[in-house]
Amino acid sequence: MKYSEHLKLMRKFLKRTTMFFIEHNTMIIFFLILIISANVSEVFFTQTNLSNLTRQVAGIGLASIGMLLVIITGGIDLSVGSIAAMAGVLCAVFSSTTPLSIVLLISVASGIAVGSFSGYLVAIHKMAPFIATLAMMTIARGLGFIFSNGAPILLADEASAFIEFGSGYWLGIAYPVWIFLVISVICALLLRHHIFGRIITAIGSNEEAVRLSGIRVGIHKLSVYAISGGLAALSGLITTFRTGVGSPIVGVGMELDAIAAVVIGGASLQGGKGTAINTLLGVLILGMIGNIMNLISIPAYPQQVIKGVIIIFAVLLQKFQSKSNHN
Amino acid sequence: MDKFKNYCVELLNISKSFGGTRALKKVTLKVKSEEIHALVGENGAGKSTLMKILSGAHQKDSGRILLHGREVSIKNPHQSKALGIGIIYQEFSLVPALSVAENIYLHDLGRESGYIQWRELRMKSKALIQKIGFDINPGEKIHRLSIAEQQIVEIAKALCQPLKVLILDEPSAVLGPKETEKLFQILRELKKEGLAIIYISHHLDEVLRLSDNITVLKDGLSSEALPSGKTNKDDIIQRMLGRSMKQMYPQRTPKIGREVLKVKELSSKNRVHKVSFSVKSGEIVGLSGLVGSGRTETLRAIFGADKKSSGHVFLQDKKISFSSLRKAVKSGLGLVPEDRKQQGVLLNLSIKNNISLTSLDELSHRSGFIKAAEEKENTKALIQKLSIKTKHENLKVEALSGGNQQKVALAKWLTPHVKVLLIDEPTRGVDIGAKTEIYQLLNEMAQTGVALLIVSSEIAELMEICDRILVMYEGKIQAAFEQKDFSEENLLRKAMGQ
Ligand SMILES: Nc1ncnc2c1ncn2[C@@H]1O[C@H](COP(=O)(O)OP(=O)(O)OP(=O)(O)O)[C@@H](O)[C@H]1O
Ligand SMILES: [Mg+2]
Repeated sequence: MKYSEHLKLMRKFLKRTTMFFIEHNTMIIFFLILIISANVSEVFFTQTNLSNLTRQVAGIGLASIGMLLVIITGGIDLSVGSIAAMAGVLCAVFSSTTPLSIVLLISVASGIAVGSFSGYLVAIHKMAPFIATLAMMTIARGLGFIFSNGAPILLADEASAFIEFGSGYWLGIAYPVWIFLVISVICALLLRHHIFGRIITAIGSNEEAVRLSGIRVGIHKLSVYAISGGLAALSGLITTFRTGVGSPIVGVGMELDAIAAVVIGGASLQGGKGTAINTLLGVLILGMIGNIMNLISIPAYPQQVIKGVIIIFAVLLQKFQSKSNHN
Repeated sequence: MDKFKNYCVELLNISKSFGGTRALKKVTLKVKSEEIHALVGENGAGKSTLMKILSGAHQKDSGRILLHGREVSIKNPHQSKALGIGIIYQEFSLVPALSVAENIYLHDLGRESGYIQWRELRMKSKALIQKIGFDINPGEKIHRLSIAEQQIVEIAKALCQPLKVLILDEPSAVLGPKETEKLFQILRELKKEGLAIIYISHHLDEVLRLSDNITVLKDGLSSEALPSGKTNKDDIIQRMLGRSMKQMYPQRTPKIGREVLKVKELSSKNRVHKVSFSVKSGEIVGLSGLVGSGRTETLRAIFGADKKSSGHVFLQDKKISFSSLRKAVKSGLGLVPEDRKQQGVLLNLSIKNNISLTSLDELSHRSGFIKAAEEKENTKALIQKLSIKTKHENLKVEALSGGNQQKVALAKWLTPHVKVLLIDEPTRGVDIGAKTEIYQLLNEMAQTGVALLIVSSEIAELMEICDRILVMYEGKIQAAFEQKDFSEENLLRKAMGQ
């Protein structure tokens, strides 16, 4: 082979690898943080820590998956944290008097109802998603306080099955984590291979063109908010199962973590772009950052600063990615 | 050396690649002051890319740019502007939510005093628009204007500062004959004022009439500039396509059947007044008229994209009150809208996703999961059928040239369940070879029994492919012509309301 051919091959190889890195940057950030974590703390890779970590992120993760669907349509859902609290409270309130399956139903349905109402405002009344879900955020939080009379409620003894579920394992992985994983996989399948995913992505890309193609934009937009509400409620249930109380003050700021996870996962707030797997990685990245900082006992305030910096860093990387795709 | 100095702008050996696509391969283009230089070539030949390099929207990979003989570096649109280069892009670049005046002076809103002087801004805008011979309210929001009016605002915007070079990328594609004539007048005047004008168009007659010299781009390669006087249409086509074109329009032997679309006294809030007509299966009906005569609005009202205020639409004798566009589409209606970027295609999604959008139900299992292989096959077949120039069906539509985007907008309606297709400007921005293919395609669709209603500002095209032409004027149908009565004069006269 001639020298120039070698050079050409070399350049091709370099180009391929950079392309690979740019395309899979979420995954790379994930491994980077994983490696760093493993090195700065011996505790990180222990069974207990990993199990704690995954259990902590499962709740946020569920809300993030819902958030992803909303963000893909070009919207945003600020109400997830409040819905989680409301659902948790409802679960605890009804746990003493009602069959457990009905309790679950009520709690999840309440989340779907609040989400659907946001979706109705956005889809039918063309209200800005930020505003509609901001209103629903305070409404759901208020309802949580009303149902609980402002104080955390203990799960009734009749609901011990919930507690068992919250602390149970299968194949070494906690049940709540399984739920999160299963939902993530379903969401990934929907987004990649199902009409629903195709349509909501298209709506985020160009709503008017989708409408003119004879597709019902309204119902699809409404349903992403409904799903987001449902998943947020599920996330609240998981918290209640884990802690044994339904508290009206959990999930404050959860919407921001969910948005951060989705954005770190490479989704665009303009809509039309995002994958479930990357969101899952985004959730894990955020979780690991928090976890490792706790392990090496960084105080709470600097933690927040560091977290913010890492979010900026991750999103900058993606900007770089979309730029290089463009050229 | 003296002759060399005469050039106002020189692009020398410009190369540019997008990922694996080599859009420009050492392209050279030289334009003098007081010259109108036309740039022609097939869709995807690299015309817009070359101009975007000159305007700073893209960066060249190699090559040099000279302005009055001095090498300049253009790293962003701002620098290009400062050098006196103005451009009207093929795709619109106005801000829809802002007013005409704000858009025109967007670059230096309140630059001097820090706050905006609305009155002055509006007066200046009005004067500017009047200077180029039009009348548009400078306080109107852009999204309320027709596309032609938007184009005029684009032109005014480019002219709001002193220019050396003016680039127009297919400006006439959205203008009617009258507006185009006016535009030519302006360009000739600007030329006299000493500007170097680069004009891109797929209308070769227009190009021959207007320009002094013509450069042909083919597959990213440029040829020597030709003086317009020393060439002709066939010669240019030969250079563009690498082959001659015997027949532009298909031989039509219409197979006209039963009436499928009937419109009765249809009115809508915007510009449609009691429009009645019908279209039979296998028939191609043209809707002619000036810009703003209500053609687009008529199509949109039939389809249900705009609310009707009164009147009825019948599809195969069934009265349809479309409460949703989904019902319209399900019962066999389709619309290829006028504004492809805003309404026709999803720019940041793949060609495949765009094309499948109208037939998702057919391409998926009952569970709603998409039959991937079938979808891919369907897309590939359509890409081939319309000769969409792309490497892969998963590439984003925004990476396609304008003409190929148009083909994608059309392709998504080539499904078996479409019975009536309403098409707004089917060949806007499409090169002459592709135009022929689209005409062929429309003809084939009609042969299979689809009823076609076509809006076009190109009278010649309507006269060649239509079986009947309706002329609109101020929202009403002014006249209807059978094929034997087609003449440009007749059509234009009626279009002006005479
Ligand atoms: N942003 C981009 N990313 C990737 N490829 C691109 C991009 N822009 C243009 N191209 C490719 O570069 C080539 C030239 O495109 P260009 O838009 O310059 O064509 P054009 O001559 O203006 O065509 P048209 O007459 O259809 O407007 C095409 O193959 C196109 O697909
Ligand atoms: Mg172009």
